Formats: sequence, C-alpha cells, structure tokens
Amino acid sequence: MLISLRDITKIYRVGIDTVHALRGVDLDIGENELVAIMGSSGSGKSTLMNVLGCLDRPTDGTYLLKDRRTDRMGAVELAHVRNELIGFVFQSFELLPRATALANVELPSLYARGERRRDRRKRAREVLDRVGLGDRMDHRPNQLSGGQKQRVAIARSLLNRPAILLADEPTGNLDSTTTADILRLFRALHREGQTVIIVTHEDEVAAHCERVIRLHDGRIASDLPISEDPAGRLLEEVAEITESGS
Amino acid sequence: MISPAFWWQAIKLALSQIRANIGRSLLTALGIIVGVASVTTVIAALDGLKDRVLTEFETFGANRLLIFPDRPDGYPRNLYPWKDVRLKVEEIDAIAQHCPSVRVVTPITSLKTAVQHGERILEGISVTGIRPAWHETENRSILEGRPFNSIDEEEARQVCLLNDDAIRELGLPADPTGEHIIIGARRYLVVGTVETIQSMMLGINTSSAEIFIPFAMAARLKDDDFFFRATAMIRSPELAAEAESEVRFVLRKMRGLDGDEPDTFEVAAIDQFIDQFKALAAGITAIAGGIVGISLLVGGIGIMNIMLVSVSERTREIGLRKAVGATPSAVLMQFLLEAVVLCLVGGAVGVLIGEILAIGLTFIPDAGLDQAHVPLWAIIMSFSFSAAVGVIFGMFPAIKASRLDPIEALRHE
Repeated sequence: MLISLRDITKIYRVGIDTVHALRGVDLDIGENELVAIMGSSGSGKSTLMNVLGCLDRPTDGTYLLKDRRTDRMGAVELAHVRNELIGFVFQSFELLPRATALANVELPSLYARGERRRDRRKRAREVLDRVGLGDRMDHRPNQLSGGQKQRVAIARSLLNRPAILLADEPTGNLDSTTTADILRLFRALHREGQTVIIVTHEDEVAAHCERVIRLHDGRIASDLPISEDPAGRLLEEVAEITESGS
Repeated sequence: MISPAFWWQAIKLALSQIRANIGRSLLTALGIIVGVASVTTVIAALDGLKDRVLTEFETFGANRLLIFPDRPDGYPRNLYPWKDVRLKVEEIDAIAQHCPSVRVVTPITSLKTAVQHGERILEGISVTGIRPAWHETENRSILEGRPFNSIDEEEARQVCLLNDDAIRELGLPADPTGEHIIIGARRYLVVGTVETIQSMMLGINTSSAEIFIPFAMAARLKDDDFFFRATAMIRSPELAAEAESEVRFVLRKMRGLDGDEPDTFEVAAIDQFIDQFKALAAGITAIAGGIVGISLLVGGIGIMNIMLVSVSERTREIGLRKAVGATPSAVLMQFLLEAVVLCLVGGAVGVLIGEILAIGLTFIPDAGLDQAHVPLWAIIMSFSFSAAVGVIFGMFPAIKASRLDPIEALRHE
C-alpha cells in the first residue's frame, strides 16, 4: 500500500483549549488512485492533508508512506520526504513572482539530493511541455492567466516524480472553464499512473475522482467509490465535460 | 549537502531582491556604506602620509645617527641639570676619533639672529653652525661656489653658505658668492649657496631662509655653555646598532657614568623615528577602526531590521519553499546569504566612495596627502567586515525564517 494511516490523531492546543482535529483516522490509499478528500470547514480535512503531505506530524498513530514510517521523523527528514515523494498544488498557486515559469518549476530541484539534481533543466522543460506550457517557459507569473499559473504549479509538483500529487482546493481560485481544464489535466495524469489526492469541498470537483473520502468531526464519515457517493450524481455531467475536452 | 544550483539561485535571488527594492536596500546599507567609505578614506590618507614620511626619511638618509643631550626619565631633576647633560665639542671630537663605525660626525647648533645686507636688515633669521662633515651627513648639494672645508672650521673663518630664500630675502644677486653680509656685528663672506630641501618633519630643516656658518663661529655667537646636537654618518646602514653602541660607550666614558647610572644623552638611528611614526599611524588606524566599528554596528542593526521585514513579507514564499522540500538549514542559508550580499553591495559602494574621496584628498593643497591611495588590503578588509556584519546581523532573521512552520507560513496573509 502506498499510504497507510493507522489510528491517526491530532490534537492542537489553542490557548487553554485543546482541539481534536483528528480523532483516530484509519486510511489506505494505493498506487494510481484518484481520491477526493471532502468535508466542511472544521472537519479535519486540512489537518489530514497536512499529515498526508508530511507538513505536520500526527500527535499519535502510525503513518506509512511507501513503507517508511514518517510519523516520528524530524524536520529535516520530513523536508526530504516532501521533496522526493510529494508534489503540492495550492489554491493560490504560490509561484515566486519574480521568477520565470521555468525557474518556478525548477524550484524543488534546488533542495533535492543526489541524482534528482541532475538534468533538472531538461526535466523542468519536460513537465512544462506535459502541462501544455512549452511556449510560456520564460513568462513570469504576472504574464500568465490563472489557469496557466496553476499549470505551472502542477508542473512544479511533478518535477521530482512524486509518489503523491496532493492538491489543496486546486480550482478554488479559477472560473468554471479553467476548472474543467485543470481537472482534466489531473485525470490525464492519473491515467498515466500518477496517484492524485484532491482536497475539496465542492461536489463538482469530487465528481472527477474515483474515490471520495468524507470527513466529519475528525473522523472518516464515508469512504466510497464515486458511483456510490452523493457526488456521483454529477457523473454524467463529468462525462460530458471529458468528452467535449477530448 | 546543499547543491551548487542552490547557491547560484540564492545569490541571484538576493540580487533581484536588492534590485526590486533598490531605494530601500541602499538606505538600509547606508550605515555600511558610510562606515566602509570613512575607513577606506582614513586608511588612504594615513597610507599616503606614511609613504610621504618614509620617502622623506629616505632622502634624509637611513644611515644617520642623531645625538642630543637628554635628561634621563624618572630621576630627580637636580641630579642631572640641563647644564651638565649638554654635549661638549670634545665629546664630538672623541666620537669622530674613537668610533670606527662612524664615518663622520658634525655638531649642529641653530640660532635666530639679525642679518644685514646693505640697507636691508632681517630679524630672526635661522643661522646654523656646522662643520664640513655636515655636507656628508646632509644630502644637500652646493649650487654655487664651494662647500665648507676644514680650514674654514679650524681657523674660524667668517664665511657663510645661503639658501635661495635667504638670497631672495636679503636682496642678493642670484649668484651671491663674493658678497658680504653682516651676522651679529661681524662681516661674513658668502662662499656658496645650498640647495633647499622641502621638509616639515622633525623640525630638522625648514623651508624658509637659512644661513650656515662654521660651527666654531656659531659657538662665538652663543654663551659658553650652549646646547647643540650632532649628526653622525654611519659607514653603512647595517652598522647602525654597532655605531649606536660605540657612540654610547664613548659618551658614557667621557662623562664618567658608572654602570648603574642612566644615559644623560640620546643616540637615535633614523629608523627609530620611522618606528615611532608607524606606531603613531597604527594608533590612528585603531581609533579610526573603533569609529568604523560603531558605524558598522549601526549599519548592522539596519540590516537586521530590513531582513526581519523581508522575512515577514515573504512568509508565504518561505512556506512554499519548505513545502517543496527546503530544509530549515537551506532556508537559513538563503536569508543569511541575502544579508551578506546586501552588506557586500553596501561595502562595494562604500569602497567606491572611499576611493573617490581618497582621490579628492590628493587635490587638497599643502595637506601633504598627494600620495593618498586606498591599499588593496583595506579593500579586502572592508569586504570581509561587510560580510561579517551580514552574517552576524543576518543570523537572527535567518533563524526566524528557518523556524517558520510551513503550514502557518502558507496560511499567512
């Protein structure tokens, strides 16, 4: 199993209050899955994403990522795991404003170890080509549209061939047409073998995934294939979008 | 651990940050700029002064000993009255005879007196009594006529040598040999003219009117127990220490000083003065360094402040870098490097301004700084100090950046 969470809890202390963000989550995600994690605000979905992305350590429980226990790793080890195994895509793109698209995509290689450093420029061009921005490499973020910015961010997340592509509300800042473009890109990457986890609160986004995990109050409320999830009723619509795009 | 690409990118990023906020960066680096500019200018001035002084000492001659009476320090005044410590002509003769490392020695005495030529009377002209050996100890050529010879001295002839200022002030013709002037109610024959050497150091020479007469004649113009000093010429510069101890030995013997009694005179080779001057210059450099240290401290606080602003402005960027795998040390290095680059740019501007000011110094008339220049070591030192300020004052903001929690940082507005 690619990802294996066992009895994960996360407790925050906010002043004198303690917040139980996760109250015992068991979760397995395999290679090449396309998963949506859903939930309202306060459900623990952001915390779960941070734990999955090795940005945060659980208070308790075990997290196996590619058979490595990450729940007790130090800050440096976690940084290396993020660099080598995880590609992040954020709602607000998080591109460096003064760097070109190519330089933005190359960013993770600056922190890479060993072989991953090699051929970084060639690899950066490859992934930019893959997301359809081969002709925008020297553009700066302010010369790109929202959808193009998010494509640059996706190219950046793919640079080090991550085990998981972790997208946090990736279409939250995009209009519906661009949203469809980006979701189509995720599906295409998924077809090429990429494991993709999308954190979202929109059924329309979740409908593009194959499995939907719903969180409520720090626990997994449901974990169903898209056909059995309420979001699945949008499936026909998705099919239309996919067809019109291909 | 950290890739070469990382360093290159970090430096490029630091420069682009400075370029993007050029006004703010220059204002921030102003402390460094002022500090570095002032230290390079001070060093340039001191170095120029040192060069000039050393050149002067060189023309003055490295193989010379100065001999003069001196009351020993730390002894009661009445034990060694000035009257007793003064040099005597016999002592100079003894040095000339019994010191093998000394080639020649001349007593020198100066007085200010009235000098008359025709209707023109000049008061307070410098008249110096010398022996013919003076022509060897001093590097001053005879332009017209002849130098003094031993007969002038032995017979106490009323002859004199003049420099060009004296000729001009007394209204003598350009070649005054054969003319007569009156010094202290006696008539002197002008036998030659002496080259004027521009020198302000140690008060040995002056650039104004000078008249030289035989020492024997000068002695008559003075009281019986007058003061004078002496200059000795060493056979070669390597014999300086030997000549010094020979002179010391002869004088102590002549004065009947016991082994535990202090010297009642001073024998100094010219390099001792050079050492003294170097010590003085080092002292001034140290004081200037202290002042610069303060301005670098102020500059460093400015750097720290702007780096803290930069860290807080770029919190999201730091969060992103951490998310894509930047370790805390990589983030620390990036911000440290940025502070260092900022300081180095400030240092470079400071050196440039210092260089311009140093060139400016050479145009100040009569300041004696025409040889002022910024030495290479001062430039290297300026850059090293600037970099050190960057490391020291950039450390706190860089540590702050490296410790940011990536989740918090990415949520930062």
